Amino acid sequence: MASVVAAAPVEQRGNLRGDRARSRRIVDKIATGALWSAAAFVVLLLAFFIVYLFVRGASVISWHFLTGFPSSSDAGGGIGPEIFNSFYILILTLIFTVPVALCAGMYLQEYAGPGRFRNFVQFSAESLATIPSIVMGLFGLLIFVQAFHWHYTALGGALTLTLLNLPAMMRVTQEALAAVPTTYREASVGLGATRWQSLVRVILPSAIGQLTTGVVLISGRIFGETAALIYTAGASVSFGKSAYDFNPFHTAETLAVHLYQTHREALVPDADAIGSGSALVLLVMVLIFNITARVVGRRLTIRFTGKA
Amino acid sequence: MVRSAHFAAVILGATLLAPTASFADTNITIAGSTALQPLAQAAADEYQQAHPDVKISVTGGGSGQGIAQAASKGVDIGDSDILAPTHPELVDNKVAVVGFSVIVNPASGVTGLTKDQIQSIFSGKVTNWKDVGGKDEPITVINRPAGSGTRAVFLKTLMGKATLAQDSLVEDATGTVVQKVIQTAGAVSYASFSGTHNKTGLTEVAIDGAQPNDADVIAGKYPFWSYEHMFTNGPATGEVAKFIDFTKSNGALFKKLNFILISSMKVSETNR
Amino acid sequence: MTSLASAPRSTAHRDERIARSILFVCATVFVVGITLILIYLAIAGTRLFFQFHVSPLTFLFSNNWDGADGQFGAAPFIVGSLVATAFAILVGGPLGVAIGVFFAELAPKRVAAIFKPAIEVLVGIPSVVYGWLGLTLLVPAIGQVFHLVDGDGLLAAGIVLSIMIVPTVISLSEDALRSVPDAMREGSLALGATRWETISRVLIPSASSGIAVAVILGIARAIGETLAIQLVIGNAPVIPGSLLKPASALTSEIVMDMQNAQDGTAFQASLFSMALLLLLISMGLILLIRFALRKRT
Repeated sequence: MASVVAAAPVEQRGNLRGDRARSRRIVDKIATGALWSAAAFVVLLLAFFIVYLFVRGASVISWHFLTGFPSSSDAGGGIGPEIFNSFYILILTLIFTVPVALCAGMYLQEYAGPGRFRNFVQFSAESLATIPSIVMGLFGLLIFVQAFHWHYTALGGALTLTLLNLPAMMRVTQEALAAVPTTYREASVGLGATRWQSLVRVILPSAIGQLTTGVVLISGRIFGETAALIYTAGASVSFGKSAYDFNPFHTAETLAVHLYQTHREALVPDADAIGSGSALVLLVMVLIFNITARVVGRRLTIRFTGKA
Repeated sequence: MVRSAHFAAVILGATLLAPTASFADTNITIAGSTALQPLAQAAADEYQQAHPDVKISVTGGGSGQGIAQAASKGVDIGDSDILAPTHPELVDNKVAVVGFSVIVNPASGVTGLTKDQIQSIFSGKVTNWKDVGGKDEPITVINRPAGSGTRAVFLKTLMGKATLAQDSLVEDATGTVVQKVIQTAGAVSYASFSGTHNKTGLTEVAIDGAQPNDADVIAGKYPFWSYEHMFTNGPATGEVAKFIDFTKSNGALFKKLNFILISSMKVSETNR
Repeated sequence: MTSLASAPRSTAHRDERIARSILFVCATVFVVGITLILIYLAIAGTRLFFQFHVSPLTFLFSNNWDGADGQFGAAPFIVGSLVATAFAILVGGPLGVAIGVFFAELAPKRVAAIFKPAIEVLVGIPSVVYGWLGLTLLVPAIGQVFHLVDGDGLLAAGIVLSIMIVPTVISLSEDALRSVPDAMREGSLALGATRWETISRVLIPSASSGIAVAVILGIARAIGETLAIQLVIGNAPVIPGSLLKPASALTSEIVMDMQNAQDGTAFQASLFSMALLLLLISMGLILLIRFALRKRT
């Protein structure tokens, strides 16, 4: 604050009228305009992407495309199994990630005092969070594909994604818990509850809206993950024409991986179309996840805490 | 809440146990070369139709992956464009001959090149098509990545002692290479017949006068070809052996997908 | 709440202890996880040096790369990653901070209600879709603008990365600015400063450590990005002569070569060494962040 005051010559201090002041006002206006333009630019860019993806991909979308099997040499392949695999791996990942991250977040937020252990865990989480997804994928390759001899499996992919998303999920938990007013905790303890009882019956329900929003948003990111899955869950759907595969020990190519593989191998004559269609479906899924996250989160918050 | 947790655990446990509860089906897994993949997939489709109790899964991943996974018993059959001298335990079942073309974008103006010219182009000595009898258009070389089976065949049969220049565009697989050549003026690259035949927008060049077609490969005039190998860990037995035999004699599929029957070859090579 | 009083005290305490143990174990998963990753990648990543006797100096500084042919100089990829990241942070950094400022200081509620979800969608777009957009839109555009036959290269990669890191930088710089107390804003305006002067001379300096964190995390995101750049960078294992010639980066090279590198070969070992290098860089960035945050009181 002192710098502002000191930087302006005596005549200008506290004075927004006059000639020298006018140039400061102009600078202010230009800066404001620049900031607005920056924001508008990015938003317009997004709008452009969405429109482009729709224009290129809409004609490819059909019931057959969305449910049919991919072809490796003929035109007309679909992405049915890939969509299934994307959801299947997502659910598997959430089964592992949510409980562990939730518990860890609860521990750090409600039980652990500030100290070495807490610092250690936070540092580990931050490190895990910055690991590039391809590096995590190679780790998954080392452990699940090679060391465990599982070869490419949906389970291996899900466990790799778990490691990748645990930090984000824990951060979501911590923020959601931190947002619950301390008065709730105090009231609960005042009534004779143990910490665990307070957590489960009072604090978690209050936080559930924000938790759900976070989980659904992270799900959106898991749905689109590629680099960590190519070398753990593989790049093919197993057993060609058979029904959708619930076996977690089979290869499971997801939609995002399929988009990459289709471009890479492009053995089918309509590779471009399949790519456009897959990209569009991925975008639509992201939009659905985002909207759902907000809507469901808000509903749950109202239901459990009575405030909007 | 505890009850639903129990329920979820049962379901999860059931699905995890699934691999041990095997049905009467035989499962065959195949992975490897993307050049062989269309043939393997099409043969697998036909075979599964005729034998409903057999399930075959075909993946790509490249010749290197095919060899590695066959060696580690991760798959039953490893497809490859190249030999595997470092893995003596792998048995080489040659199933087909595949021809490769050097493809150019039409803006280049050439329809035939000599081996020397190809070496000059890919080693970076020549940078404009007019120096090899084409139009005045800069040459854009597109290579395959190190370790690619197709690149290995290219190096062995056409480059010889000349070194490949490293600063070219690199594209991953047959399909992308073909697309890039069609889209990029003056581009040149190489890919298998199954990716390059009957594609509009590119030219498959003759090499030292020999045409990139089945006849010249069979006669031994056209040098850019290789065997397609299906490696098995140990001699192929049972359903796997039957499938390999089915594949390598399936003349109709070969014609459709631009492969050549080994039985029709007039020459043979021990080094491919 | 009614059952709280009715639960016998001993079971409540027992539950408390069991719960606490379970939660504690879950927290340790993070420590165990990162440790395992470090160990496994250290072993796999140093195999190139110990088992295959390639010198680390060669790996880090030699320009000569032919994975299938025994040449393991990874300098082209290191340079590629650094240049693309530098471009991304020079373009995306200021843009992200600017929009962060916009949200924290300028945006009226209704505008924020539209713009913010839009930024969230940008975060959610999978990187492979960004790569596909780069491939189909950006690379041809660069080719046209610069009269090139092919637009793949570090410029394309840099632009894609800039767009991808903008949302990260936005949200963190916005948080940093929001945590500056209102008293400073009001004081500055009361002294007659314009809003821009307040922002540039008071708020941004106060929030500087938070903004530094935003930028560093943007760098981390850029350096770790794989799919989006593999599709537009050209993949030539050389240090390019310009931003418009084909190049390669650590992440894109790994994802492309992993499929061709056979298990147990020096080629595959070299890819794991690149992964180890990436891991060390990310951890270094974390330490940098902690340092930046410590500088502030």
